Amino acid sequence: MPKVITESKKAFMTGNETAAWAALVSGADIMFGYPITPQNEIMHYWTRLAPKYGRGFLQTEDEISAGFTVCGSVQSGKKAFTATAGPGNVLMQEPFGMAEAMRLPVLAIIQQRGGPSSGTVVYSQQEVTLTTFGGNGEGHRIVYSTATHQEIYDYVIKGFNTAWKYRFPTFVLGDGYQAKMREPLEIYPPEERGIKMVDTYPLIGLEGSIRAGEREPQHLCNIYSLEEELYEVVLKNAADYEAICPELIEFEEKHCEDAELIVVSHGVVSRAADDAVKALRAQGIKAGYFRPITLRPYPAEQLKAAIAKSGAKKLLVAESSYGQFYRLTRQEIYGETVKIETLFKPGVGIIDYDIVNKIKSII
Amino acid sequence: MATVVPATPKSWYLPSKPHKFCPGCGHGIVLKALGEAIDELEIQDKTIFGCDIGCSLLSWNFFACDTTQTHHGRTTPVMVGIKRSRPELITVGYMGDGGGYSIGSQHLVNAAVRNEKVTLILVNNTNYGMTGGQMAPTTLPEQITETTPYGRDPELTGYPTKGPEFIAQLTPDSAYVARATVAKYKQLKRFIKNALRNQIEGNGFSFVEVLSTCPTNWRTNAQQTWHFLEDEMEPNFPVGEIKSPFGKGDK
Amino acid sequence: MFSPQIPARVVEAYIGEYASGKSELAINRALELKYLGHKVTLVDLDTVEPFYTLRPIKQMLENKGLDVIGFSKEDAFGLGETGAMLNPAARWVLWREGDVILDIGYGVHGARTLNLVEGASESSELRVMAVINYSRPMTASRQGIIDYISNLGRVDAIVANTHLGDETTLEVIKRGNKAIIEVAKELDIPVDYMAVDRNFLQKINPEEFGVPVKFIKRYMPKAIW
Repeated sequence: MPKVITESKKAFMTGNETAAWAALVSGADIMFGYPITPQNEIMHYWTRLAPKYGRGFLQTEDEISAGFTVCGSVQSGKKAFTATAGPGNVLMQEPFGMAEAMRLPVLAIIQQRGGPSSGTVVYSQQEVTLTTFGGNGEGHRIVYSTATHQEIYDYVIKGFNTAWKYRFPTFVLGDGYQAKMREPLEIYPPEERGIKMVDTYPLIGLEGSIRAGEREPQHLCNIYSLEEELYEVVLKNAADYEAICPELIEFEEKHCEDAELIVVSHGVVSRAADDAVKALRAQGIKAGYFRPITLRPYPAEQLKAAIAKSGAKKLLVAESSYGQFYRLTRQEIYGETVKIETLFKPGVGIIDYDIVNKIKSII
Repeated sequence: MATVVPATPKSWYLPSKPHKFCPGCGHGIVLKALGEAIDELEIQDKTIFGCDIGCSLLSWNFFACDTTQTHHGRTTPVMVGIKRSRPELITVGYMGDGGGYSIGSQHLVNAAVRNEKVTLILVNNTNYGMTGGQMAPTTLPEQITETTPYGRDPELTGYPTKGPEFIAQLTPDSAYVARATVAKYKQLKRFIKNALRNQIEGNGFSFVEVLSTCPTNWRTNAQQTWHFLEDEMEPNFPVGEIKSPFGKGDK
Repeated sequence: MFSPQIPARVVEAYIGEYASGKSELAINRALELKYLGHKVTLVDLDTVEPFYTLRPIKQMLENKGLDVIGFSKEDAFGLGETGAMLNPAARWVLWREGDVILDIGYGVHGARTLNLVEGASESSELRVMAVINYSRPMTASRQGIIDYISNLGRVDAIVANTHLGDETTLEVIKRGNKAIIEVAKELDIPVDYMAVDRNFLQKINPEEFGVPVKFIKRYMPKAIW
């Protein structure tokens, strides 16, 4: 079997394509998916490349099936993944719930599009609530919000490892702009960077004969007879989740040593925030920049620390949604007395100019 | 010099014309047959038209009838909801092979089993057109699509779905099930009228699959397009009335 | 005086891998011909990719004197999954007077997209130009290019368009385009020209490559939806 990438090199790629290649180098065995704009190229590239490397693919009848087929596949010990957007993400909440309940290492790439409903096929950051706390569970998920193609590549690889090491459903949260934009990045075989891919193992179809008494049959479930049983399960998952939060949390902060106002944003909007803060600083305005990379778990202590050390009186939360990231942020930093201003552009891109103007109007 | 205005059905909504379907697309033909059927049966004012996501979406403002766009694959249940609440309305659900046989298959099967008094028209062009040409349940063996770049392998992904055949098995005798083709317009219109008649008379479920063309995603010129429709699709998807309360099946 | 070497008009179809630079080169070629005084029609034949088509910049290109066949953003507005849409005028474009430059979108069918244009297969004027960027993973090796070209269908000429976006360097351009030129020789397909961003105007010596060099301006960054 040929190696996917023998040595690292610079390439000019689109976001979707990057996700497909990253899954390939991560050793993903199979992809299940369903057509929905703007993530179709992940399937287009996977179907072209997978046969050359002995990987599998199935276009399922819908996203519910795509999610459940991934669940089944990881239960059997194979590294499976899927990708979706918008209404497809809504449908996948049912299988993602099963993954949360049964601790299945599912990896899903979400390319946000306008919502609610069919919305637009283009872009938004309106799937934050859905991806972080969707389904009928407690949000025991890991969500990476990427902003560049390099990050899509890096975090798909990391996402597989995170999922298989900690066994919580893991998401790479992108959007339609990232999916389609073209930019250079460095693609590499994980080993070259000292990244070891976490081994997979099955929960069913294990080695050894049950009949010959070599092992017990595995009986997996996600439903319980008594409230108390469920309570124990949820509390254990919560404890496992909370224990790993410190090592999972990732964020980026700039100019927070002294800032009057900190711009809080995530994903592709953080690129605009970065440029905006640079421009404002050049004009003598003390703006700071804070960007959670993991939305779950949220870098709450780190944001509180940034607010404390900077002396900032205000935060500006900028997002391409009507408050999903704002609500998440507010709940995580509850107790902070800093005033939170907002720049909401549901389904619409935000450029540095938008943030600069907004800050000038409120400072 | 006077401008020649093409004859269009009265139930067509003129401000949305010319429509945006691709040149050579079969949707325009199906919707014309449907429009003429609505005119001839005089049901324009009580027709509710529902469309799916996909190329059928381009028909959302096509008719001068009340219309709702739904979600991908969810046109059937929305039409069922309307019909069960307002039985005097004539509900026409319009969808593609993806919306009907893939994500919408569960709803199609259940509506058929319950003999819902809705009329569903499913346009079959063997691919997911609007999203760029991915495989559909009706994609033919060996056919190249964006998710079968090496050709559809029936061992891996199954054989093309034959919807009217299984719908006919699931429904009682009061249902109407047929397959038409845009290559035979008079028959297409007749089948659509029969389907609507089945609802108007309160008999039961009515379903018409229509074999249609998609030169854009098939990447075919005019000749190749008709060849694919008539010489490749039709042998796989037999045309005719499979079940009809109105007498002997029409082949 | 009639010279048999001068073609009656220019009819070129730009095809290539996803994001290989087809639209960018089609636009630049159309504008180049316009500035030479020709009547030029630019055709959007992208039926798979709803973003990065000519749609958002249609007006701007028309203001520069091009006839652009394609839907504008507003025409496609509100239609949701507006991926595959084909303007009917594209079908008959070869019947128009003047030069015709076609931007053929990506897709598994390659050059067969030209079946959608009446008269394309019979046209003696049409040249199918395959655009290759050596920095794109699928065409980043000799074998990759050979496999890709053999799946495209009809290819009359290759255009070498190696770049890494904002991180392009002279080294990247030289290495990539030289590799493409080598493979083209092996496949016996002419390399019509090498496309290089205008920023490298003084830094490239065409003689080093043995093919014409065209310096291009980038319009497509404005074309994201």
